[in-house]
Amino acid sequence: MTVLSRPAATITLRTARRWAYENLFSSPANSVLTVLTLLVIGVALFGVLRFAFFSAEWEVIVVNRRQFFVGRYPVEEVFRAWIVVFMISGMAGLSLGLWSKPGVRTAAALGILLIPVFLFIRGGEVAALTAGAVGLFVLSHVAARAVVEWRENVDLLRTLTIVSWLIAFLVAMFILGEVPRLLWGGLLLTMILAVAGIVLSFPLGILLALGRASTFPVVRIFCVGYIEIIRGVPLITLLFMAQFILPLMIEPERSISALGFSVPITGYEMDNVVRALAAVTLFSAAYLAEVIRGGLQAVPRGQVEAAKALGLSTTTILALIVLPQALRAVIPSLVGQFISLFKDTSLVAIAGLTDLLGVTRTVTAQQAFIGKQAEVLLFAALLYWIVAFSMSRASQRLERILGVGER
Amino acid sequence: MTGISAIGPALGFWRNVRVRRFAIQTAFLGLVAAFGYYLFDQARDLELGFDFLDGRAGFDISHQFGTSYGPNDRRLDLYLAGIVNTIRLAGVGIILATLLGLVAGVARLSGNWLVSRLALVYVETVRNTPLLVQIIFWYIAVFLQLPRISDSINLPPDTISVLPFIEIPFISFDFAFLSVRGLALPWATTEDGFGLWLILLFIAAAAAVAVRFWRAQRQERTGQPSHPTWWLLGTFALIAFLGFAIAGFPLDLDRPEVGERSYDGGIRVTAEFAALLVALVTYTGAFIAEIVRGSLQAVPKGQTEASAAVGLNPFQRLSLVTLPQALRIMIPPITSQYLNLTKNSSLAVAIAFPELVGVSRTIINNTGQTIPMFLIVMATYLLMSLIISLVMNTIHSRFTLETR
Repeated sequence: MTVLSRPAATITLRTARRWAYENLFSSPANSVLTVLTLLVIGVALFGVLRFAFFSAEWEVIVVNRRQFFVGRYPVEEVFRAWIVVFMISGMAGLSLGLWSKPGVRTAAALGILLIPVFLFIRGGEVAALTAGAVGLFVLSHVAARAVVEWRENVDLLRTLTIVSWLIAFLVAMFILGEVPRLLWGGLLLTMILAVAGIVLSFPLGILLALGRASTFPVVRIFCVGYIEIIRGVPLITLLFMAQFILPLMIEPERSISALGFSVPITGYEMDNVVRALAAVTLFSAAYLAEVIRGGLQAVPRGQVEAAKALGLSTTTILALIVLPQALRAVIPSLVGQFISLFKDTSLVAIAGLTDLLGVTRTVTAQQAFIGKQAEVLLFAALLYWIVAFSMSRASQRLERILGVGER
Repeated sequence: MTGISAIGPALGFWRNVRVRRFAIQTAFLGLVAAFGYYLFDQARDLELGFDFLDGRAGFDISHQFGTSYGPNDRRLDLYLAGIVNTIRLAGVGIILATLLGLVAGVARLSGNWLVSRLALVYVETVRNTPLLVQIIFWYIAVFLQLPRISDSINLPPDTISVLPFIEIPFISFDFAFLSVRGLALPWATTEDGFGLWLILLFIAAAAAVAVRFWRAQRQERTGQPSHPTWWLLGTFALIAFLGFAIAGFPLDLDRPEVGERSYDGGIRVTAEFAALLVALVTYTGAFIAEIVRGSLQAVPKGQTEASAAVGLNPFQRLSLVTLPQALRIMIPPITSQYLNLTKNSSLAVAIAFPELVGVSRTIINNTGQTIPMFLIVMATYLLMSLIISLVMNTIHSRFTLETR
C-alpha cells in the first residue's frame, strides 16, 4: 500500500452536484455565465453537427483520399510511401516505449484520432495497411516496454534510436526520391517539406545563434543582420523571391564566372519543391537562431569557465557543455518553432505546389465536386491539426521527461 | 633553470590569437563578399533601377481606402495604396486581436469550468491549424457562401433563433447588412460645427483631467473615497454632451442602404477584407490568449489573495491588481504577435486582396524588376516592424517605470 495513492474517485450524485456547484454555479454571476456559455456551445454544436451529418457531403474526401495523402504520386509507386509509414510507425512506437510510459489517456486519444481516418478510408487494402501500421506501432511499443522492464540501463538503446531516426530520414528520402519531386503532393509533400525543413534549418539556426554570440565582430554583424532582416519580412516574400531569384542564381548548364575565373557547374535543375524548401529553411533558421540564443544566454558562465579550466577545446565545450544545456532549456520554444514551420509549409500552395492545402484546390476544381470547399478545407485542417497537436503534446511530454525547469 | 619559455620559437605566428582572429574574419568577409559579387554579377545584365516606379501602372486595384488610383497613375501610387491596405488590416486586426486575446486568456483561467474549457478548445483548435487554411476557409466557405446583395442579411436579425427550433421575432432596425458583397455598418458623417465641437472636446478633456486631480487630492487629504476616475469620466461626458448640443449636433448617422451592386452610405467592408480580418484576429487572438494566461499565472498568488482580503471584488482584483502586473510580463511577447499579425497580413495574396505584397507581385509581373521591388517590400516591412517595436517599447518602459 502506498500512502501517496489518491482515494479512488467515486462519482456519485452527491460529488457530481458538489462539483457542479463549485465549478459552474458558485455565484449568481457565475450561474448566468454558465447558462450563456451553454447556449453558445449548444448553438455552435448544433451547427457543427448539422453540417457534419446533414448538409456536408463527404464523398469528395472518400473519392480523393489518395490525392490528400500523396497527391499525384503514381499509384504503382505508392508502396514507397507505405514503406516509409511502416518505418515511422515502428520507430515511433519504439521511441515512445523507450522514453515514457503512456497512460490510458494517450491510448484513448490515439484511438479517437483514428476513427475519422478509418471512416474516410472505406477500402479493404488501404484499411488493412493502415491497421498494419497501427499494429506495428503497438507491437514495437510493447516490445520496447518489455526491454525497458527487462534491462535497467537503456541509454545505449536510446542513443541508437536517435541515430536511427536520422538514418531513417535519409532512407525515407532515398525511397521516396525515386519518383520525380514534381509528382510529390498532399500530406506526403507537406511532411517532407516540414521534416526536411526542420532537419536543415536546425543546424543552420545553431550556427547563426553561435555566430550572433561570437566574439568576431564581422561574423556577429553578419548573423545579426541576417536574423533581423529575415525575421522582419513575411515568409511569402521569401517564397516569391526564391521563385524569382534562385533561378537567376543557379541556372542549369551554366558556369559561375567571377573575378575572371570560370567554374562550370553541373546542370542541377532546381524545381519548385527545392526552391520552396530553401525559402522555408532560410526563414525558419532565423527564428530558430533567436530561440537558441535565449538558451545560450541561460547557460551559466561558470559552466564555460569550468570547462576551460579543465582544458577542453572550444569545439568540445560547445558540443558537450554549452549546447546540450542551452537546447534543453528551450525545448518548448523549439518545438513551437517546428510547429510553426509545419504550418508555414502551407504557404507553398501559393507558390503553386500541391501540398495538403494545394490539393484542396485541385480537388475542388473537379467537375463533380465544385462547391465542396468547406468539406475539403475542413478535412485538410483536421489533418494539419492532428500533426500539430501531436507535436505540441509530444513536446510537453519531452519537457516532463527531461525535467526542464525542475533543476 | 629549465628551458621552458613562454614565447617559445616552437609556436608559429599562426598560433597567435590576434592573427587567428584576423585571418578567420577576413576569410569570412571574403566568402560573403565573393557570394555578394557573384549575385551582383548575375544581376548585372538585368538593368536594375527604381525608375519603373514612376511608370504608368497599367493595372487597377480593387480595394482602395480614400484613394482611387487607376491604370493611368504611377506604380508608386498603387504601391502606396497597397501599403495603406496592409496598415488598415494590421491596425484593425491588432486592436481586435488584443481584445479577443485578453477575453480568451482571462476565460482560460476562469473558475467556471465551461468557460475555461470553451476557451481551451478555441485556443487549441485555432493555434494548431495553419493560418492560410483558415483564411481560405473563412473566405471561400463562409463569406462567399453568404446570400447575394439583394437578399442581404439584416443585422441585428429580424428573428432570433434561441434554440434551433424556436425563433423569436425581433424588431428590424436595418442597422447593418451582410452579404457576399461584404458588411455594411452605419457610420457618422460630420456637419457644420464639427470643428467647434472638437475644440470643446479638448476643453472637456482638460477639465476632466483637472477634476480628476482635484478628486485625487481630496481623497489623499481626507481619506474619503472620492472616485477620481468616475469624476473624470463624468466631467468629460457632461461637457462633451453639452458641447455637442451647443455646436448644433454636428454628427449625423449615415445608415447604409442596399444598392444594385454594392452598398451605399455607411462604412463598408468587403468580403475579402472581412474574411482576412476574422482569420487574422481569431488566429492571433489565440496566441495572445496563451500569453495573457501565462502572464496572469506568473503574478504571485499572494497578490490575488491579498486583494481579496482587502475586499476587492473579482473584477477589481483582475483590473487593478493582477492585470497591471501581468501587463509588464506580457508586453514583449505580445509585441512579437503584433509583428506576426502585420507580416501574416501578406497572406492576403491567397484571396487576391491587394495589400503591399499583392501589389508588388503585380508590379513584378508587369515590369520584371524583381530585385528592386523585393528590396522595397523588405524595407517597407522592416520600417513597419520598427515602428510597432518602438511604440510597444515606449509603452513597456512606462509600465516598468511606474512599478517597482
